[in-house]
Amino acid sequence: MKWIYRFLSICLALIFLVPVIWMLAVSVKVEGFKLDSVFDWFLPPYSLDSYKKVLAQTPLLTWTGNSFIVATATTALVVLLSSMAAFALSVLRFRFKRLVYMIVLAGLMVPGEATIIPLYQVVKDLHLLDSYSGLILPAIASPFAVVVLKSFYDALPGELLESAELDGAGLWTIYSRIVLPLTKPAMSSIAILTFIGSWNSFLWPYLCVSSSELFTLPIGVPTLMSGYTRDYVIPMTVNSLSSIPIILLFLIFEKQIVKGVSLTGLKG
Amino acid sequence: MNGKREGMFAFLFLLPFFVAYVLFTLLPMLKGLQMSLYKWTLIAKLHFVGLDQYVQIMRDPEFWNALWNTTYFVILSTPTMIVLALGLALVANRNSRLKTFYRSVFFLPSVLSVTVISYVGLFMFRPYTGLVNNVLKWLHVLPENKEIFWLTDETNAWLVLVAVTLWWTVGINMILYLSALQDIPDSMYEAARLDGATDRQLFWYITLPSLRPITSTILLLQLIASYKVFAQIWLITKGGPLNQTRPIIQYIYEEGFKNNNLGYAAAMSYVLFLILLILSLIHMKWNQRAEGGTPA
Repeated sequence: MKWIYRFLSICLALIFLVPVIWMLAVSVKVEGFKLDSVFDWFLPPYSLDSYKKVLAQTPLLTWTGNSFIVATATTALVVLLSSMAAFALSVLRFRFKRLVYMIVLAGLMVPGEATIIPLYQVVKDLHLLDSYSGLILPAIASPFAVVVLKSFYDALPGELLESAELDGAGLWTIYSRIVLPLTKPAMSSIAILTFIGSWNSFLWPYLCVSSSELFTLPIGVPTLMSGYTRDYVIPMTVNSLSSIPIILLFLIFEKQIVKGVSLTGLKG
Repeated sequence: MNGKREGMFAFLFLLPFFVAYVLFTLLPMLKGLQMSLYKWTLIAKLHFVGLDQYVQIMRDPEFWNALWNTTYFVILSTPTMIVLALGLALVANRNSRLKTFYRSVFFLPSVLSVTVISYVGLFMFRPYTGLVNNVLKWLHVLPENKEIFWLTDETNAWLVLVAVTLWWTVGINMILYLSALQDIPDSMYEAARLDGATDRQLFWYITLPSLRPITSTILLLQLIASYKVFAQIWLITKGGPLNQTRPIIQYIYEEGFKNNNLGYAAAMSYVLFLILLILSLIHMKWNQRAEGGTPA
């Protein structure tokens, strides 16, 4: 019984791994290789020629750079803006606080996909289409991040902030020296999830950007895929190259990513 | 602390978030309402048509077809997603040396981009040369001289889309189940075991009931996410064959940007928004009832 269970578990794991292994294996095969049996997909001879070819002949590196710029800027701004807003909503006293918070909460109900058409019009009116700003700015106000961070700031012991206040610490000091350092894990969860979400975002970049030099990876890659009906090596090289950064990130930050997902539910 | 100064400080701290929030979330909401009441093209706002476009939507067979396709996708993917996510979580929760290996393997596809998973799926399910048909022939499930045309047949196309989507996103739900499983106190199992409960009884009478709140959360998040399905279908089948897998977002996109009819697309977005809003409200109510806590 135990062995059957183990065997099934391994099979499941294989099913999950095979597409990724296949992608990586095919990417290092020789272009035009002959397929006599299923194992030929995975077995040598290997070659990195397709990598050289893709890197030399396609703008994949530029797009990787764009994805990196957009994801980093989006993440930095989301963390900064939402932590400031959450600090105000959690710690500070001011008029209409409840109302302001309700407006933020209402944002949780607005799915980005349902406002994509008017968002296009708004960004067009602001003359931000086809620019880095157009890719970055629409994603920087995340009500989700504000709500999550606020719940963490709410959980900080009140005496801590009060005693800092009595010691004459200004609000900025309380924010930057006490609240931020104490909630680092929550902020890094938000940061990692935002980064992955932005790195993989498809629909908005697809609408926003029309010049190839501004493409991010998810919208650039499809433009390289047409015309490959027989050859699998180049398409899988493109896929592998565009996945390697995020796979590395996953291997390094796996613990935090998993914690972030279970901590904050799912988003994106 | 001086109240006025604190108010000023709060204003300054909220300002950057709210500028972006108003510009890119609240303003588009209003703009969308306005656009849905006009004939509106990619170039310019034309004339006011009132609610005509909403009436037109109700009579548009293409809209109902796309809405049905999306609903069909939801019906196919949601129950399978929940069962699979639970199954994987149980595998990854077993005390074995491979525990973290399983968790990583099941979660890995979730970090890949939709483009990558779509093209891996597309190439794997190719007839003649694709890996899936290769393997089926190798296992003698499929005779050597036969091919399965995965993407040109409606039923098969749905199978591929659901399989790829499950493979891609089930990891996130598995993690949610996994953390719920780890929250069940060991003492409950120990006590039941002392009373002579079997493994099967432990599962049916302790594990499953403890997972009810997280299941309802996953169910509703999944419903909402599935109604927004677009990219993997766009990349794998382009909505084909013959628009039979075209989801609502794709119809909105094509109507707006291919047919130059942003007003009508905005009106359809509002209908989709209403559907998602209703689902979200149910989710919030559900959460409040389950946890008696704050909506989030």
